[in-house]
Amino acid sequence: MIRNRTFRYVTLTLLGLYVIIPMYASVQFSLQSGYHSKLTLNAYTQGLAQAGLGHSVVISLEVSFGAVAATLLLLVPTIIFVHLRLPGLRSVLEAVSLLPLGIPAIVTVVGTLGTYSRAPTWFIGSPLILALLYVTLALPYSYRAIDSGVRSIDLHTLVEAGRSMGAGWRMLFTRVLFPNIRSGILAAAFLTLALSLGEYTFASLILPSTPTFPVFLASVVTTSTYYAVALSVIALIVTWGLLVAISLIGSGRRGSAAAGDGADEELLSAVAAPHPTELVA
Amino acid sequence: MFVALFLVVPAGSVMVEAFRANTGGLSLSNISEILNSSQPYLQDYISSLELSAVSAALAGVIGLTGTIALVGSPNRVFRRLVSSACGVLANTGGVPLAFAFIGTVGNTGIVTSLLSHLGFNPYDHGFTLYSASGLVIVYLYFLLPLTVLLMLPPVEALRREWREAAATLGADARTFWLKVGLPVLAPPVVATFMVLFMDAFAAYATAEVLTTGVVPLVPLAIGQLLQGNVVANEVHLGDALGFGMVIVVVVAGAFYVVVQRRTSRWLR
Repeated sequence: MIRNRTFRYVTLTLLGLYVIIPMYASVQFSLQSGYHSKLTLNAYTQGLAQAGLGHSVVISLEVSFGAVAATLLLLVPTIIFVHLRLPGLRSVLEAVSLLPLGIPAIVTVVGTLGTYSRAPTWFIGSPLILALLYVTLALPYSYRAIDSGVRSIDLHTLVEAGRSMGAGWRMLFTRVLFPNIRSGILAAAFLTLALSLGEYTFASLILPSTPTFPVFLASVVTTSTYYAVALSVIALIVTWGLLVAISLIGSGRRGSAAAGDGADEELLSAVAAPHPTELVA
Repeated sequence: MFVALFLVVPAGSVMVEAFRANTGGLSLSNISEILNSSQPYLQDYISSLELSAVSAALAGVIGLTGTIALVGSPNRVFRRLVSSACGVLANTGGVPLAFAFIGTVGNTGIVTSLLSHLGFNPYDHGFTLYSASGLVIVYLYFLLPLTVLLMLPPVEALRREWREAAATLGADARTFWLKVGLPVLAPPVVATFMVLFMDAFAAYATAEVLTTGVVPLVPLAIGQLLQGNVVANEVHLGDALGFGMVIVVVVAGAFYVVVQRRTSRWLR
């Protein structure tokens, strides 16, 4: 029994250290600007003062919120419609939503550039294309989040009740359905946001002329590694904040009576990585 | 419809364009160009496959050990906390993570400085973060939490009763793991390995930022082709390279599905 416990503590401690050390070290690295020198916020102030930072953050936010808006506009009505009228299509939709996990991002880049090479520049050469690509990128996660939200409510009853009381579709959506699947929608939005804000492959290869924040960050290193690490620390904290928010939304749902106990687990696994089971099947 | 426009069409176009010669006709010349040993591309595939296999194997073994240790913990709150943390960490990646590691074990990183202060500079012993072995260390940072997430359900399903039954029949811990634990866990372990492998195989951002193309990897090679760092008459080479990647992923994915079917038997 003792050996068992020792094994447990040693393993978990080592893994914990592996997680913590890089984070601790990069904070120290960015504060010290060198081993054994004095602590200073220099790298942060300088890093934040780099020309182009503000612009890249604005581009990133535009693209990300665009992607969130497009995701919700596309997915929420589609998923509700499919649940109501075409339940047979659900498995197809789910399989399709997992596709982006299987196709390496770099392959999508090659294909996109090839397919839309003759498209007008307002399309291929603007942040618009990135926003649309991020919608597909986040699809495995956003689809799951919204789908499990819709599944946790009695959709048919709600719709019929609303209709019989004279509510039009618009009223039904805004007054009945949205409030009920709010946590699923929020989770999908945050996930899409977190993914879009940190994406580098698409952004650097498709839109090198208008750098998003990650692309900008990668270029800062040529000025100073310390600035780059300092900005990375900020970026990691923001991303983690978003992801923690997602899991909080998940546990908040658990408390409400509408969602069963499984909803949280489901959301967690959506955050993790859905199994690409149906991918090839 | 939307997915078709932005995913299926590009992916499909890669398939077709891979077989298009520079003159516009259909041909196998791009594929044979990749396999041509005077070109670097075959080497790219080999090191990509090696890197992904090593990362996935290490993440699998260490992650499984960690999961077993975690499940053994009696504290429920702690277990929930760790699995939530894993969900967050598994999504950490890309550019910031690469820089965090530069600050840690880069050539002037904190840990590197600390070690060389103690008289052991890893950079004097052939280690460098900006290489394949360095990439493995960085990849493990998001692959390990992913392993824990994927392995938690099967390890939790290893029922306590089985262990007690084995003990009643006179099995010690070693015999239990050899005869019961590992055989039951084998399919999910293999399935997890496949997911980790695909994840590492497709990774671009971290590798690009850390090594700036020094390490030969397929995604980096494609990236360089796209950025026009190579001769212009090789327009379809990127498509061909991408096609090769898709083949690798499909093979790994098919394997995953087969193994996954076996897994589900024990998880009920």
